[in-house]
Amino acid sequence: MAHMRTSIPLLLGGVAVLVALPLLLSAGLLNASVQMLIAALFASAYSLLSGRAGMLSFGHAAYFGVGAFATVHAMNALNGTGLLPTPLLPLAGAGAGLAFGVVAGWFATQRTGTAFAMITLAIAELLHALAPQLRGWFGGESGISTMRMPAWGLNFGSTTQVYYLTLAWVLAALALLYFHTLTPPGRLTLALRENEHRLRFLGYDVHGLGVSAFAISGLFSGLAGALQVVSNESANYVVFDAGVSASVVLNSYIGGVTAFLGPALGAALMTFFGYAVSDATQAWLLYQGVIFVLVMMFMPDGLVGLLAVIGRLVRTLGIRAAPLMAGWLLAGLLLVAGGVFLVELVQRLCSQDYRAMARVGEAWPAVRLLGREWLPAAAGTWATVLLPLAAGGGLLAMVHGAQRRWLTEGAK
Amino acid sequence: MTASILRIAGLRKSFGDTEIIRGVEFDLAPGERRALIGPNGAGKSTLFHLISGNLAPTAGDIEFDGQPIGGRTPQRINRAGLARSFQITNIFPKLTVFENIRLAVMRKHRLQYSVWRRIAWVPWLREATEQLLERVRLQQRAQTLAGEMSYSEQRSLELAMTLASNPKLILLDEPMAGMSSEETEYTMHLIREVTAGRALLIVEHDMDVVFQLADRISVLVYGQVIATGTPEEIRRHQGVREAYLGEEVAA
Repeated sequence: MAHMRTSIPLLLGGVAVLVALPLLLSAGLLNASVQMLIAALFASAYSLLSGRAGMLSFGHAAYFGVGAFATVHAMNALNGTGLLPTPLLPLAGAGAGLAFGVVAGWFATQRTGTAFAMITLAIAELLHALAPQLRGWFGGESGISTMRMPAWGLNFGSTTQVYYLTLAWVLAALALLYFHTLTPPGRLTLALRENEHRLRFLGYDVHGLGVSAFAISGLFSGLAGALQVVSNESANYVVFDAGVSASVVLNSYIGGVTAFLGPALGAALMTFFGYAVSDATQAWLLYQGVIFVLVMMFMPDGLVGLLAVIGRLVRTLGIRAAPLMAGWLLAGLLLVAGGVFLVELVQRLCSQDYRAMARVGEAWPAVRLLGREWLPAAAGTWATVLLPLAAGGGLLAMVHGAQRRWLTEGAK
Repeated sequence: MTASILRIAGLRKSFGDTEIIRGVEFDLAPGERRALIGPNGAGKSTLFHLISGNLAPTAGDIEFDGQPIGGRTPQRINRAGLARSFQITNIFPKLTVFENIRLAVMRKHRLQYSVWRRIAWVPWLREATEQLLERVRLQQRAQTLAGEMSYSEQRSLELAMTLASNPKLILLDEPMAGMSSEETEYTMHLIREVTAGRALLIVEHDMDVVFQLADRISVLVYGQVIATGTPEEIRRHQGVREAYLGEEVAA
């Protein structure tokens, strides 16, 4: 409860920052923020099913995509005037996500574990394969475009207005998802993850509970898909892509599914990195994968778990936690610098352009990186890779040793 | 004779070629406390699984409160008014003790799809949960994670979860295993108290408990009930002494 009291001002502060963002950011960054909000909602909806109810879905793009296409049709209905006023359009996506979630969930939750994951994957792949064939529903390979109509005295022409519309829906949806954790079915999803067998012998219809968790997750995934269509003014069958399903899994677990806001934070961060980095590098997917693997190996509770670890360190070690944290941070930065440099260098050496150059001219021409020319054969180039890696590794070992010593001293 | 709450006729269960339950005949009167004893491997747990719906019978009938329940799903049998505990503790280890009991209490009130109300806004749910906590002496442990409690405390929790649905018949599979003698004594009185007006079927290895608690005892040997009677009759029964009690008398 004390934990609740400290986090409410933090939460209000966070909301205030989100409300103030359009005053602080350029249109491009504001657009990225809209995508971050949508990804955060999608990850939270996903984690209701996979984190809280313990049913690992590998095909959540299906519910996101169904919500997206339902919304695009709702926007184009009645000769383009739209089925609903623009601010209420996401309801169409939410409804479609719920309906499809009930149907797909009824089948998928007949099984658990690996079989469940495979069924969800198959449903998403089925849609991905069908969508380009069904022109009327999904617009073929080119997709369907639409336009936001003015409503309620707003024209929804500026990014700022779209941002506020998205923010309002995402905050309301997150509040509802949080409320769900406090309701009887919300508590039962935890029990479903913990011990399905016992629930049966308490008289619960385990299949019904599974469908209910699946459908609610589908509802909010559909809502996220709807918001994306409202923002992009188009929907394309690539929303059913396996990559969409995969990234919501990765984002949620990177953020940490054990805390309510973990998946939302993970998704927002990863979407931002994607936006910031994908122009600068072609190896973005590799970085995303490496981050996921590292988080799973060293922080199974995700980035939110990292915050908890820091909190514990500060409580047990007091001021002495500061040099430790600085050490971890510096070691981390050195390793990242060395690692990124290595990846970028190798990526350029393996690129087609480079191989073409190497074939024409004499072997091993220089590579351009960070505004400098690097000769692949020069010792200096590899020293630039190895020095930060070695220094970072050494520092990591030192900090780790010191932390262990101080913690055992503290325990005595 | 009054109608039985539980009637089993010609019940058989095989796993492959191995027949574990070989034609069990069994009758339990409403409000009766019956103990089921028998050597290891006699089929006591299998019989419990068949009655509670964890396993489907190969042949034979099980009738609970006038309706056939053989092969029905566990949740339907539970809703009909039959609750059970498990030999191997079966709880929600990563949820608090309070939450464990609350989940069990909540079922009969059909709250499982009430997405519009906070669970904390249901005052009688909290009261009923706290009463049960107190009854099994776990009120100090309400906020502890169930999996972090001692084994005997987990057994008490399981008993509370079994009682939560206010069942007509309770099956308890070795509820005293791992308890100290003081805890066993308390739990035995508790079981006697909470089963007043209900039927009880209990498997227990502690013979003091069995002879004190049960109105009647049935002896299961190699998948068949070889004798049923009052504790005194069972103590004197020659076949039972040979098959089962003999080992303990000699020891």
